[in-house]
Amino acid sequence: MGDTLVVGAGSSGLAAAKNLAEAGFDVDVVERERDLGGNWNFAGSGSRVYSGTHTISSKPFTQYPDFPMPDADPDYPHHSRVHAYLRRYADHFGVTPRIAFSTSVESATPREGGGWRVELARVTDDGTVGGELEVREVERLVVANGHNWSPKVPEYPGQDRFAGTILHTADFKRPEQLDGHRVLVVGAGNSGCDVAVAAVGRAETVWHSTRRAYWYAPKYALGRPADQLGDLVFSLGLPIRWTQAILEATARVVVGRYERYGLPTPDHRFLETHPIVNQSLLYHVGHGDIVPVPDIARFEGDAVELVDGQRIEADLVVFATGYTIRIPFLDPSLLNWHDGAPRLHRNVLHPERTDLAVIGLIQPDSGQFGLVHWQSVLLARFLTLVRVDPAAARAELARFAAGLDERSQGGIALVDSTRHLVEVEHLDYARALDRDLARVNALIAAAMPSARGAGWARRSSDGDRRVAARDVTAGAAAARSVAAQDGRG
Amino acid sequence: MSVERPPRLGATWRGPRIRRREPVLRRLDWTFPAPPLTRRELVSALPDRPSARPPVLLVHGAWHAAWCWQEHWMPAMAARGWEVHALSLRAHGGSEAPANRALIPIRHYEHDVLQAITTLERPPILIGHSMGGLIVQHVLARYSAAPAGVLLAPVPPRHHGGALDAVGRADPLALARALVGLHPRPRTTTMFGSATDPADAARWAARLEPEPWLATLQLVLPRPSHEPSQPVLVIGGGEDRLTPPHAVARTARELGTRAHLFPGMGHQLMLEPGWESVLDLALGWLDDVLIGA
Repeated sequence: MGDTLVVGAGSSGLAAAKNLAEAGFDVDVVERERDLGGNWNFAGSGSRVYSGTHTISSKPFTQYPDFPMPDADPDYPHHSRVHAYLRRYADHFGVTPRIAFSTSVESATPREGGGWRVELARVTDDGTVGGELEVREVERLVVANGHNWSPKVPEYPGQDRFAGTILHTADFKRPEQLDGHRVLVVGAGNSGCDVAVAAVGRAETVWHSTRRAYWYAPKYALGRPADQLGDLVFSLGLPIRWTQAILEATARVVVGRYERYGLPTPDHRFLETHPIVNQSLLYHVGHGDIVPVPDIARFEGDAVELVDGQRIEADLVVFATGYTIRIPFLDPSLLNWHDGAPRLHRNVLHPERTDLAVIGLIQPDSGQFGLVHWQSVLLARFLTLVRVDPAAARAELARFAAGLDERSQGGIALVDSTRHLVEVEHLDYARALDRDLARVNALIAAAMPSARGAGWARRSSDGDRRVAARDVTAGAAAARSVAAQDGRG
Repeated sequence: MSVERPPRLGATWRGPRIRRREPVLRRLDWTFPAPPLTRRELVSALPDRPSARPPVLLVHGAWHAAWCWQEHWMPAMAARGWEVHALSLRAHGGSEAPANRALIPIRHYEHDVLQAITTLERPPILIGHSMGGLIVQHVLARYSAAPAGVLLAPVPPRHHGGALDAVGRADPLALARALVGLHPRPRTTTMFGSATDPADAARWAARLEPEPWLATLQLVLPRPSHEPSQPVLVIGGGEDRLTPPHAVARTARELGTRAHLFPGMGHQLMLEPGWESVLDLALGWLDDVLIGA
């Protein structure tokens, strides 16, 4: 067993394992399912994608920056293509052989004097966790177990006496499940809109209940993926209010007024809730195939009463109400939980421990993998700093602890909702990671005078890299990347 | 041969500072991603037995295509046990030319190289010639898993202004034609060293294709650059008129290393007589680096 254990082989765990291994750490990955891919592993019991899921953000935002999605893939790839992409990523960078499949982390407890005692269990083919626990000791733990798997189910009065069926989107895998039903979809996240659209033509009736009025962004605007156009507006560098105004105006031009479709007027500015990107929903609302309705007041036997007094005779209610963040194998006191989410530096680094980090615990208003890549690079650099200059790393921890309130939201006042617990504005967050990387790199360079002093000439021949590696007890590969990237600080 | 001769143009300002680290924000790639290609030429030469060494990906320069590596280097490398692949950038060789051919920027070539990389089973070593050398510098910075890079007569990372006067004096018409996006039709002496067989030179010159205008312009204009973190070997030719020795030496200096110059060779280090010594140097160096890592 290596010195570093990554929990989860989804898009975040793979990026963490790849970048930590590249920085010279001995990485192992444990994965509960029989295949990698996490949420994108459709066959896995932990996957929450349904048969028709496509990415919400277009390829340039979705992909890892050093491993672009293939040209053959469309702008918005299907989940099976994303899964194939993750497999190729893991194979190409040699992560696959590091993964122990069908292995569940039952508990992880800190050892005295640092490091972790991890209890692992085998997951049998029928999905049960059992057998004897295997105990492993590792130096550090990287949590990448995902945050979109544990259903958040709302509770309305009379819900337990409802005569129809109640389903959470977590259990929605195929549109056939909606065949012939009178379906009420609750929630206007991207899943809720997807389910409502998938129900059209299959269900007898489709109602879509939302608590408030939202902005529905199109997937394409002016013939281009709309997120690419959005970033173009952002790169004008205007004040955020102006940017919002331009994007609102663009939405007005591209999709028109939501009122015309029969939807209520948004009660907040564009970007103040997590973006919903769905063009088909408006189309079907306009055709009367999806009936938008307000929030539920109560369940009544075989019907649902809404807050406006309307009664809906639905026999299948789909809760698209999102997921709660859960890290079941770690004592909550270890992760600085506040209001339903761990409070960490950039949602990655622990403010008190250097042997625990979380990767992928963000909900960007854009693609995930690219940001997760840079989270992993930052983690790898920080752990390198812990190796070469523990004192400087501890000083950084104090800085992290002092700055925990800093959320990368680009000056946008998000609507107060549990949906936005880990919401980040992708450009602001990317810049924050960039600043952190610059800082950590400078500290590493300062801690390695042998590499710094020699300046440019250090890389004049092939041999010096090896010399640098021998200079430092940190481990050859760690030193290699240090000397190479920042040795001249 | 005066390697350190100060260039006339661009002697005081050498373009934007080299950023030592790949940036997190890639706004151009996010807002204007390279158009996808349906046909991208990737030729391969495989050794008889699978090699434990990483594969090598060869990136050609302006006006060329994958063929320039198939002539000598690819068979020789495969014979020595290396798995080697060569790519044709978009609008070159057997690769598709997208619409707006003239407006292809170098950034799209980098996308082509990364696309080729993702089809390989393992992270490859990157070898680039001329403009391909510049592309390899950029790709190395972005793709940190590449074990090493070799630059043959590379275009300097920040700008090529310092070498323009050399090209201009040697072959002003070719320079003028290239800068407006036409076929450069260079004199044989511009492209090849004096030891090259004229018949060979004529045969190779006939295969040159015009380079898209925007990419050509970017080669000579100042541009931002990111420094690779991997070991890099820089090789130049003593009689090179397109990337003259002083330009190659500057590239090496800016990448923190020293250039290896082959006197008597021109720009085409993988085609001209002497290509074997260049290959010997590169492969020997790569073996050293791989053992060291």
